[in-house]
Amino acid sequence: MASLELINIQKTYGATAVLDDVSLRMEPREFVAFLGPSGSGKSTLLRIIAGLETLDSGEVRLEGRPIQQLAPGDRGVAMVFQHYALYPHMTVWENMAFGLRNARMPKDEIASRIAEAARVLEIEEHLDKKPGQMSGGQRQRVAIGRAIVKQPKLFLLDEPLSNLDAALRMRTRLELAQLRHRVDAAVIMVTHDQAEAMTLADRIVVIHDHKIQQAGPPMEIYSRPANSFVARFVGSPAMTLAPVQLLPAESPFASVRLGDGSEVETRVPRSGLPAEGALELGLRPESVRVAPAGAASTVARVELVERLGDRTFVYARLSDGLSITAEDEGNSRVRMGETVGLRIDGTDAHLFAPDGAGYHAAPAA
Amino acid sequence: MSLGAWIGVGIGAAIMAAPLLWTLLLSLKANAELMRDSGAAFSAPYTLENYRSILQGSSLVQWLLNSVIVSGGTTLGVLTLCSLAGYAFARLEFPFRRTLFAFVLLGLAIPEQAVILPQHQLFAQLGLHNSYPGLILPGLVGPFGVFFMTQYFKAIPKELDEAAMLDGASRFTLFWKVLLPLTLPAQATLGVFTFLASWNSYWWPLISATRSEMFTLTVGLASAQMNYAQTSGLGFLMAQAVFASLPILIVYIIFQKQIVRAMAGASVR
Repeated sequence: MASLELINIQKTYGATAVLDDVSLRMEPREFVAFLGPSGSGKSTLLRIIAGLETLDSGEVRLEGRPIQQLAPGDRGVAMVFQHYALYPHMTVWENMAFGLRNARMPKDEIASRIAEAARVLEIEEHLDKKPGQMSGGQRQRVAIGRAIVKQPKLFLLDEPLSNLDAALRMRTRLELAQLRHRVDAAVIMVTHDQAEAMTLADRIVVIHDHKIQQAGPPMEIYSRPANSFVARFVGSPAMTLAPVQLLPAESPFASVRLGDGSEVETRVPRSGLPAEGALELGLRPESVRVAPAGAASTVARVELVERLGDRTFVYARLSDGLSITAEDEGNSRVRMGETVGLRIDGTDAHLFAPDGAGYHAAPAA
Repeated sequence: MSLGAWIGVGIGAAIMAAPLLWTLLLSLKANAELMRDSGAAFSAPYTLENYRSILQGSSLVQWLLNSVIVSGGTTLGVLTLCSLAGYAFARLEFPFRRTLFAFVLLGLAIPEQAVILPQHQLFAQLGLHNSYPGLILPGLVGPFGVFFMTQYFKAIPKELDEAAMLDGASRFTLFWKVLLPLTLPAQATLGVFTFLASWNSYWWPLISATRSEMFTLTVGLASAQMNYAQTSGLGFLMAQAVFASLPILIVYIIFQKQIVRAMAGASVR
């Protein structure tokens, strides 16, 4: 049985559509990340599942049971809020006990659940403190603990790491990854941080323009983006999208010519491509390498050099004005303003039709 | 804090405290001595004679009790009504919410004096004069309190409501156990202001309470003043002033922490 099922969810605010016919099916214990830019509708979808927003039409089922008519507290879901939403006047223990007390759970059961959650989250020594006396990271753990003690069927995490500093975010991300294996529930996390989604999720649901653009495992989203939006949104630095002209050839794979005249042989089967309309070539930075003059397929003027230590990203402009992102070694000697050779490898390149639909390299035989 | 700031604050405090100290010293001097020279307040001997005179006046304890009942009742009523109204205006969706809120705020623009005659007539017809309800009810009309509590409830993040809803809290549990405790600093401030205003209220008690046993302290003390009291009984008058202000002082000392926190604008996190 599916864990969560969203069936044809529609939501509008006045005349503004927020979610347009969204459907999704989650497996038991699956960790799904809703990824999308601000205003894409991902948080609204999470709040609809939680019962904090109503839906206009559609159905929300949790373990086969329709829950859209139930009050938030009766749905069997627990939520970790972006700003923690801990009750400031209650101690950590009382914060975690509040929901259980409302459910009229026996006192010894409450105590044992809290003790167990506190042990797992290493917040045992903070149980008598109030949230105001704790650091951001500790509060985050309490918020997670408050969700865990309810033993819900579904965890909802609303940008749970966005309030933490970079170091703590990395640590908490790791802890979340470990934690999910300890809880017997499905998890949905809303995030606009693709690294978070890629690290934690079994499946990423990319939401944009009120619709699910693509749902799939992280590497599928990265390597076979369903459309040009997903291609651009997932991956950092973003994929270069270049208008290209399809070249006539005998090969079963498409060869294209960029605006500056350079040619790229892709592994995208020619047969599936649309018969007419302008195509766009999608190139990840790792497919475009800085190369010496002899090995280069084109040249570009360097506009920005981003040194990350282990590798270097080079933001450059081709002779026709197209911005392109290339990768170089960590100790790259490339400098801003100079002209460098680029070798474009079409093996992993993508093609996008005028309607945005993506076409990808055929799997290696 | 720098030395200059310390000196500035010290001078300010001295200016504020001087009249109070002067009043206290005057209250500790014999009337006869003050009639000869009011400057005698700054030299010994001091006496508690004036305070003994106050306590021997049999009505004063009753007036004090009346003031405590009226001010306490008004404060309790204002806090209850304003908290409920503030919560409703800040959090509930109901028809004409904004219009009603504006209507309540319009009450701020109506001076007490403008409605005193119909108010007097109404209370006379209802037979409420010379009664505790008669003294308390007009004080419960508090547009400022409603506005104040509404703004305070609005400042509490809605995520807390949502967290409580997901924790299975009923609307009453949410109000009573989550939101209301968070408004305690505001309650303390509003409570002290209301208590103070009610304690010092003179005009309405003067109109409504015509029988001595229903006088509040302000009306009672005024009625006890003789002609030329300021010259013949300066010490006694000052003792009355000190006596009347003691309960307020006590209230302030008890709730000092909440008041300071509310004034400093401590935010809810």
